[in-house]
Amino acid sequence: MPEVFIDGKSYEFEGQPKLLQFIMDEGLELPFFCYHPSMSIPANCRQCMVKVGQPVKDRDTGEYELDENGERVIRWFPKLQTACNFDVTDGLVVKTQESDELVERAQKDNLEFILINHPLDCPICDQAGECPLQIQTYKYGPEGSRFEVKKVHKPKRVQLGPRVILDAERCINCTRCTRFADEISKSYQLTITKRGDKNYPTTAPGETFDDPYSLNTVDLCPVGALTSADFRFRARVWEMNQTPSIDVSNGKGCNIDIWTRDNQVLRITPRHNPHVNDYWMPDVGREIYPLFNDNRISRPSVILDGENQIKSSWNNAIETFGEQMEAIKPEEILAIGSAHASVEENYLFAKFGNLLGISTPLFTPHIEPGSGDGFLITDDQAPNTNGVRLLGFEETDSKQLKTAVKSSNAKMILLLSDHLIDRGVLSADDLSGKYLVMFATNESETTKKADLLFPITCVVEHAASYVNVDGRIQRSFPAKETKYTNRRLDLEMTEGRLDRYGTKFDNWVTDENKVDCLPVWDLMALIGGRLGLDITYEGGSREVIKEVSQNMPAFSGVTYERMDDELGIELDTEHQTVKS
Amino acid sequence: MAADWRSFKPVLIPDIPNLDDIDVYIKNGGYEALKKVLSDDWTTKSVIEEVKAANIRGRGGAGFNAGLKWSFMPEPDGGPRYLACNGDESEPGTFKDRMLFEYNPHLFIEGSLIAAYAMQCSTIYVYIRGEYIDWIKMMDSALNQAYEKGFIGENILGSGFSVNFYTHPGAGAYICGEETSMLESLEGKRGYPRVKPPFPAQKGLWGRPTTINNIETLANVPLVINNGADWFKNIGAENHPGPILYGISGHVNQPGVYELPSGVPVLDLIDEVAGGVKNGKKLKAVIPGGSSTPVLRADQLDGVSMDSNSLREAGSMLGTAGLVVIDEDTDMIDLLWRIAHFYHHESCGQCTPCRDGTGWLEKILLKIKNGEGEVKDLDLLLDLTTQMEGRTICALADAAAWPVRHTINRFRDEFEARCKKSVHAIA
Amino acid sequence: MKYEFTEDELKQIEVIKARYPEARPATLPVLWIAQNKFGHVEPDVQKLVARTLGLPEAHVHGVAEFYTQYYKKEQGKFVLDVCTCLSCQICGGYDILHYLEDKLGIKHGETTKDKMFTIQQVECLGACGYAPMMQITNGVYVNHLTREKVDKVIHGLKNGEMPEFEPMEMRKVKPQEN
Ligand SMILES: Cc1cc2nc3c(=O)[nH]c(=O)nc-3n(C[C@H](O)[C@H](O)[C@H](O)COP(=O)(O)O)c2cc1C
Ligand code: SF4
Ligand code: SF4
Ligand code: FES
Ligand code: FES
Repeated sequence: MPEVFIDGKSYEFEGQPKLLQFIMDEGLELPFFCYHPSMSIPANCRQCMVKVGQPVKDRDTGEYELDENGERVIRWFPKLQTACNFDVTDGLVVKTQESDELVERAQKDNLEFILINHPLDCPICDQAGECPLQIQTYKYGPEGSRFEVKKVHKPKRVQLGPRVILDAERCINCTRCTRFADEISKSYQLTITKRGDKNYPTTAPGETFDDPYSLNTVDLCPVGALTSADFRFRARVWEMNQTPSIDVSNGKGCNIDIWTRDNQVLRITPRHNPHVNDYWMPDVGREIYPLFNDNRISRPSVILDGENQIKSSWNNAIETFGEQMEAIKPEEILAIGSAHASVEENYLFAKFGNLLGISTPLFTPHIEPGSGDGFLITDDQAPNTNGVRLLGFEETDSKQLKTAVKSSNAKMILLLSDHLIDRGVLSADDLSGKYLVMFATNESETTKKADLLFPITCVVEHAASYVNVDGRIQRSFPAKETKYTNRRLDLEMTEGRLDRYGTKFDNWVTDENKVDCLPVWDLMALIGGRLGLDITYEGGSREVIKEVSQNMPAFSGVTYERMDDELGIELDTEHQTVKS
Repeated sequence: MAADWRSFKPVLIPDIPNLDDIDVYIKNGGYEALKKVLSDDWTTKSVIEEVKAANIRGRGGAGFNAGLKWSFMPEPDGGPRYLACNGDESEPGTFKDRMLFEYNPHLFIEGSLIAAYAMQCSTIYVYIRGEYIDWIKMMDSALNQAYEKGFIGENILGSGFSVNFYTHPGAGAYICGEETSMLESLEGKRGYPRVKPPFPAQKGLWGRPTTINNIETLANVPLVINNGADWFKNIGAENHPGPILYGISGHVNQPGVYELPSGVPVLDLIDEVAGGVKNGKKLKAVIPGGSSTPVLRADQLDGVSMDSNSLREAGSMLGTAGLVVIDEDTDMIDLLWRIAHFYHHESCGQCTPCRDGTGWLEKILLKIKNGEGEVKDLDLLLDLTTQMEGRTICALADAAAWPVRHTINRFRDEFEARCKKSVHAIA
Repeated sequence: MKYEFTEDELKQIEVIKARYPEARPATLPVLWIAQNKFGHVEPDVQKLVARTLGLPEAHVHGVAEFYTQYYKKEQGKFVLDVCTCLSCQICGGYDILHYLEDKLGIKHGETTKDKMFTIQQVECLGACGYAPMMQITNGVYVNHLTREKVDKVIHGLKNGEMPEFEPMEMRKVKPQEN
């Protein structure tokens, strides 16, 4: 196998890697700003300088020439080279800052240049704490500055678009943002304007950067030049927890990170998954985060008589449910599953019904034809349509569902997390005279109609799986505590600085931010207990998915471990889908 | 040694009235070289070999053997291939290509056609700086004449070779003279130089093989075809042969463009050719080949001639052979600050050391010029030049760094005299 | 829309587009056509160019902003681009610039109240042997400037007379007497 020598150590390589990417893949380090693995390589920041040389081969024999010590004779490039656009070739010798003083010096020199016109904003800059410029400067930069003349001034607080704000003075001209708009989202809305040290990115005059993917530029920007209009000044990143999850705003299942502080989700950023979303996600997927904080259903509710829901204790709600169930025949119960809920929740919902002799749940996909863009926004508005299909739920269109609901046979309706009134499948009237039991996360027009309303955990509060439009099953992790969970005890939960060192008595801890809700598996255990069914899962959703994988052929072999290791698992939707 | 420059007769722009008229040009042997190479006696390879043997070194500043450059073009694959002629002419001190546009456009056109034939290019663009609007018009009418006569277009002179030839205007950007920036500008973009590799011969205009040559370089080609490589190699300096359009400006009595062999002694150029330093002043310094070439003090010029070896030995470069003559009353700090201002203004701003370095250089020089500099600033300037040189995408940063380094080093006393006494302890 | 191209201009643009394998390379030439017609390429003109060529507005804007010869806003009727670069600098370019500034009562970068003149200080225009010099409104070069010549030129311009193109012939070496 061909090999390359980096700082005196040999590494084998395959294919035609670029040097910087190879160095990173090997877990080594080189400072850089402009390079991004999914975009063209402009090599404009000049930060990733290395010294490179090629072994000299004897023209006639094709053998490497050796010096008196038997070492290969190396012909060094006369100038330092940028590693990002440099092809790794067999026998290449590379010296990074680790082993070469000139390289170290060059990197320092370059940082000095970048910093001369960069404002000293770190204390008030949103990027601080996750800023490549800050980090590289700390690691490789000069100790002080020799710059004693005037900095260049440029526009600040420019509203580039509804979601992105530019501080041009902080920009280091890496062109990641303009390349993104040209090469990835293809909105072509950005350009660099002016010339020389007056350069900065902008839209055409009067145009707005309303690219549906605009916030990716905020992630890409290696400094705080581009910030999110929403997240700006909300939190220091080092005070937040970062938890992997799945975007539930549509059917693509973009891999994301959920950022919380004091149990509030404050922002969502994309997480790299080459099989799904690469490094990107649509802005809408980020904008849904208030759903996880606000308007949550906390504590169960019941309608005793008439119209008004009143809050109830869990015991009372479960007892009410038990009484209602005992008074009704299974044939009179209609169960409706949800493409908005996870595989585990739908599975348990169906299992529960099955144990009671209720027929297989129906479900109506939530698809808005024409709203997708062929990239990361899908027509499918729900994260788990394929998951519900693979569980064998009976797929109906809106009309069929309406008919089923209105049928006089259906006296009680069990509804899992699908706001059918809000999305226009049912009208409030369709439900009149029915006893509606609903399991849901957020208040809506639909939950208002529930005679019995059970609050359940949402995607950021539990580990659960979702099967995306391409048949890939991926899972979430609990990011936000409920009244009944505790990050210190749950090994799946991350613990940030504030969590670790905070106590209930610190003013940055607000207990109200914990919702009084239960995951479906815990809730089913309680309800099952009341009804004499054994539906307990000591191991939570992890145990549920194990059972799913054993019972449902479409899910065979699926485990959380595999999903974690393989960044999700592609299921065979072709042959398993009941109806598409 | 070649004949004395004094007996040289101009060949690039001979003294023939109305040579820009195609009929006059043809009457004087014009387009014969094109006919020759299109005939069965020549092949594309033999044209390249002849031009390579002549060693026409690029007149755009870098001095690369034109024929050798042509030989880097890959084998034709049926797709488009391009010749891009560099008429950006923006390096301060340089004003010679416009002479060809104005006084002998067909020589340049003919040379380009021969080059295009040798490299099997399908289209030729001549990129001309936007300020030269009058010269663009001259070129357009010369091209029209050549189209009418069938020297450009489909099946030229029945040879089966076809090529189109267009002018493309710049719009005010020195950097577009850098060859890959020029390609970007030709593609209708901001003139950001490209990272190399890939080189233009592999991926040039629209990703296709492209060769870039300076106008004057190409104008030499018909001369080589007509008279042979040996004739050409015998003109002027051996290491950099051929006629040169010397642009002489600054403090001389007769500034302007002169055609002479390469290798004319610098002092002869000033005294004999350009009529000596103006107003009887003493010579202080010379910038031999455009603003980026290191300045030489008058006392460094003995025996130095205008060819690359001699100038390298003296500590400078031939560049574009645009000689700027500087008299004894000139303030070198002012001069250097203005050069630094130029490069700061013209940096495309793409890469860090140049974008931020050029501005820093200018600002420190301004401080020194205003009497507010300190000696340590001079050392900082020298440091910055090493931090910029060789670390950027294109050579503009080098071009900005060299004059700063060499002007300070060669006129250190003058610079120090302008500095305040340092308040910092000297380490 | 305030700005439009005529049929003839659109035809001319088609001819230019035909020189290249795609529309984008026509950006610079078409910006020139627009500037020659409207006197500037302010944002609405940039939009017209983008629309005409089917290119993103941001692209055309970025290009217009990169090149100094495009006027991103309206200028005086005559734009006097005075070269103060290297050769012009040492041959009195600044003297000419300041003389003009005093004469017209504006600084470089400014336009006279009557919108007649704008003065700009520019980089080398490739006429170093004829220094000091200036270019008028991206057009004619006026060489070997002296204060007197400046007076004459300004006087002429006020009367609508554009100076004529001055051919600068090749220099011939004067035979030396030995
Ligand atoms: C900053 C910069 C500006 C340049 N400007 C010009 C120019 O105006 N005209 C030119 O012919 N070459 C210029 N060059 C050189 C070109 O990059 C290129 O080497 C040349 O056009 C090749 O032609 P030649 O080999 O025939 O000289 C410039 C180079 C640099 C780095
Ligand atoms: S705004 Fe950020 S991403 Fe865009 S060019 Fe500047 S530094 Fe790079
Ligand atoms: S060296 Fe200067 S001009 Fe060249 S690419 Fe870099 S910034 Fe642009
Ligand atoms: S990462 Fe910017 S030059 Fe290599
Ligand atoms: S320096 Fe003024 S034209 Fe060249």
